[in-house]
Amino acid sequence: MAKLLAVITGASSGLGRALAIELCGRGLLVAGLGRREDALRETAALAGDSFTPVVADVSNPAQVRAAFDSIRAIAPVSILINNAGVYPHRDMLDETPESFMQTVAINLGGTVACTSEALKDMTEAGRGRILNVSSFADMHPLPCSAAYSVSKGAVTTFSRALVADFGDRLPKIVISTWMPGMLNTEMGLAEGLDPAVAAKWGAGLALWQDPSLNGAVFEMDREILPPRGLKGRLKDAVRLKRRKPRVIPT
Amino acid sequence: MTTLAEASGTSWDVIVIGTGMGGGTIGRYLAEQGLSVLFVERGPTGVRAEEQELNPNIWDREARLVRGYWPEPLEATVNGMTTTFHAPLGAGVGGSSVFYAATLERPAPHDLDHSDARPHPTGGWPVSYEEMAPYFDRAEALYHVRGTPDPLQPDGNLFPPTVMSATDQGLMSAMKDIGLTPYRGHMAVREEDGFEQYLGRKCPNDCKMDGRSAGVEPALETGNAALLDFCEVQEILSKDGTVIGLNVACKNKEATLTARSYVLAAGALHSPRLLMASGNLGNGNDLVGRNLMFHLNEMFALWPPKGKHSAGASKSLAFRDLYHQDGQRFGMVQALGVEARYGEIVHYLNMAFDRSPLRKLGWLRQFTRLPAAIAVKLFGSAKIFVGILEDLPYAENRVFHDPADPHRLAITYDMAPELLSRRKAFRKALKQRLKGIRMAFTGAGPELNFGHPCGTLRFGDDPKTSVLDRNCKVHGTKNLWVADASFMPTSMGVNPSLTIAANALRVGEVVAAELMETQNG
Repeated sequence: MAKLLAVITGASSGLGRALAIELCGRGLLVAGLGRREDALRETAALAGDSFTPVVADVSNPAQVRAAFDSIRAIAPVSILINNAGVYPHRDMLDETPESFMQTVAINLGGTVACTSEALKDMTEAGRGRILNVSSFADMHPLPCSAAYSVSKGAVTTFSRALVADFGDRLPKIVISTWMPGMLNTEMGLAEGLDPAVAAKWGAGLALWQDPSLNGAVFEMDREILPPRGLKGRLKDAVRLKRRKPRVIPT
Repeated sequence: MTTLAEASGTSWDVIVIGTGMGGGTIGRYLAEQGLSVLFVERGPTGVRAEEQELNPNIWDREARLVRGYWPEPLEATVNGMTTTFHAPLGAGVGGSSVFYAATLERPAPHDLDHSDARPHPTGGWPVSYEEMAPYFDRAEALYHVRGTPDPLQPDGNLFPPTVMSATDQGLMSAMKDIGLTPYRGHMAVREEDGFEQYLGRKCPNDCKMDGRSAGVEPALETGNAALLDFCEVQEILSKDGTVIGLNVACKNKEATLTARSYVLAAGALHSPRLLMASGNLGNGNDLVGRNLMFHLNEMFALWPPKGKHSAGASKSLAFRDLYHQDGQRFGMVQALGVEARYGEIVHYLNMAFDRSPLRKLGWLRQFTRLPAAIAVKLFGSAKIFVGILEDLPYAENRVFHDPADPHRLAITYDMAPELLSRRKAFRKALKQRLKGIRMAFTGAGPELNFGHPCGTLRFGDDPKTSVLDRNCKVHGTKNLWVADASFMPTSMGVNPSLTIAANALRVGEVVAAELMETQNG
C-alpha cells in the first residue's frame, strides 16, 4: 500500500517538529511547512528521509497554494495538522489593528488556507483527517493574549463549522480539535510538557480516523465531551446512554 | 461539464431539462444514438464521494442546494390544512433518485390496462402493458435490477438477487408459512452485497444505479453529451407550436440555449410549473398541473421469528398478494429498508405532531423524543414494511405556479372519500393476511408519500383530456417532449422509478427517430 502523506504546519520548531518526527517514525510521508528554511532543515535531519521541508508563510494564501501544489506532486494529502501559530504576548494598548490582524492571519488564516487546499485532495478521495491544534484561551483569555485568544477561539469554531459543512456529506473526512496542553516550547512554559510526549498523542489522534471523531475535541490524550443541558442529560438517562470520554490509543 | 458561454454558443440536437430518473435515462439513450445532448440541471454536480441523505431539517437555501436537495419548501394544503416543510425531493445531478432506496419494481398489467375483470379508472393508459413490456426489460437491464421474479407475475429481466440476511430468510419462510408468496424485491444495485448503507443516501461509488450513475454519467462518457449544472430554466420560448429556445439563469448569468428538440424532465412538481411559466404552454384545456397524485404509505412493523433476527434493515422482501383484491386496487408491499431507529421515529413523530392540533403549542414538540425512546424499545428488532396504496387522479389536486414568485412550490390535495375507504380496506386486508406474524401499524392517519408525485401532465390520445400525446410530446407542439413522472394517468401500485425509466426509453426512441428523419429529409 502507498504511504499516506501528512502535512504539518509550523514544522520548523516545537510541537510541529515533534509531530513530524513522530509521524515519520510511524511510516508516513510528512511535508512540513515553515517560514525558516534552516530550521526546517534541522527538522529534516531529525525526522529522516520521509520528511519534505516546504518553505511557506501560512498567512500568505498564494504561498500556501504553491506549497500544496509542490506537495501534491509527491502524493495526495491524506492528513493535515494545522499546528502553526503565534502567541505574541502583547497588551491591547500596544496592539495596532494591523498587528492584531497579523496574528489572526497566521493562526486563523493559515488554518483556513491550508484546510482549503487539503480539502481539494480529500474531497476527491472521499476521505481524510484534519486536526486543528487549538487552546482553551478563548474561554478565559489571559492578560496580553487578545489576538491569540480570539484567533484560537475562531479556530475551534472553524472546526465546528467544517463539521457542519461536511459531516453529513463526507463523513470520512474526519475533523477534530486538539488542545495539546501547556508545552515546554518557545511558545509555552519552561515547566510545560515535553513536546515529544504530546506528539505521541497528536500522531495517535491524526491516525485515528473513525468518523465518530468528527467534531470531537481532545485535550492532551482525553476527549472533552460537549456540555450537556438538562434536556440532553434527561434523554441520556431515558436511553440509558451516558457517554464516556475516549482516550487516544498510542 | 460545460460552461454557459459554450452551451449557448452551440446548437444541440436535444436539450434535456432535469437529470433525474427520466432526464438521465433519456439523455443517455439519445447520446448513445450519436445525438448531441445538453443536460440542464438546476442543482449541483456535487462531489462524487458525497454520501448525505435527504435532511428536511436543513433549511438554509444555499446549504440545501449544495447538498442536492430541492431548495424551496413545499407548501402543501392537504384536506384544507396548510403545512410548509421540505419534501423528499432532489435538485442535483441524478435528481431525487440519488437519494432513493433503489427500488425498481415493475407495475402489473392492471396498472395500465383496462379489462372487465379489473376495470381501469381512466379506461386504461394510451400505451398498453404489452407495448411497455420491452421497455421495462431494457430499463431493468440498464439499471442492473437484481431480485427474483414475483411468482404471481413472473415477468422481468432480472440479475441474481442480492445476498439475503438471516432476518429476511426468517421473515420469508414465515410469510410462506402463512400462505403468502414473497419474493426478493427488485433493486437497482450493481453489487450483490455492501450497498445497504447507501439506500436512501447518495452512493459514493457507482454501485447504486440511479439517474446519475445509470443516466448522466454514462451519457457523458459517450462524448456526445454535456452538462450544465446550477442552471435554472426560467422560460421555454416557443413560436407557433415550435420551441425555439430556453431562457436560463446560470449562477446569476442569463442566456438563451437552443436545440432542435427539447425534453422536459424536471419532475412532476416542477415540469408543469415550467410550462405555466412559459405562457401557459400546452395548457389550452387547463389541465397542466392538475391530477396530482402521490401514494399513500401504509407503514407497519413485522417481527422476524425468534432466533432469526440479525442487525440491519430488511430491504429485499416484497409481496403482491394484496395488489388487487376483491375488485379493489391496493398495491404491493415491500420492506422499507430502514430500521426502527430512534432518529427515524423522532422525525416521524415530529411530522405527525406538525399535522396535529397540538402544533400550535410548539414547545411540546421536543417531547416527541420521549415516546420515540419508548418506541425504540418497543419495536426493537422489528423490520418496517410499507404498503403502497395506489392514488387516483382528481382534477382539483394540483400544483400551482405563482407568477409573482416562481420559486414558490405550492400544492393543494384533498383525500378523496374513495381513497380513504380503500385505505381502510387495505389496512384490514393487511392485518388479516398477515395473521400468524406479529405486526403493528406504525401510524394511525393516512400518510402521503411526497417523494412520489406524478400525473400532472397526463398523456392520452384526446387533447381535450390530456396534456401529452401517446409519445409524451406536448399536444400542439412540434418538438417538446416530457420524460418524467408527470405523464402517468394513474399512480400504479408500485414505486414509479422503473416506469419513469422505461417510458423515458420509449420516448427517447420517438425523439431520436424524428430527429434522424428531419436530418435525412
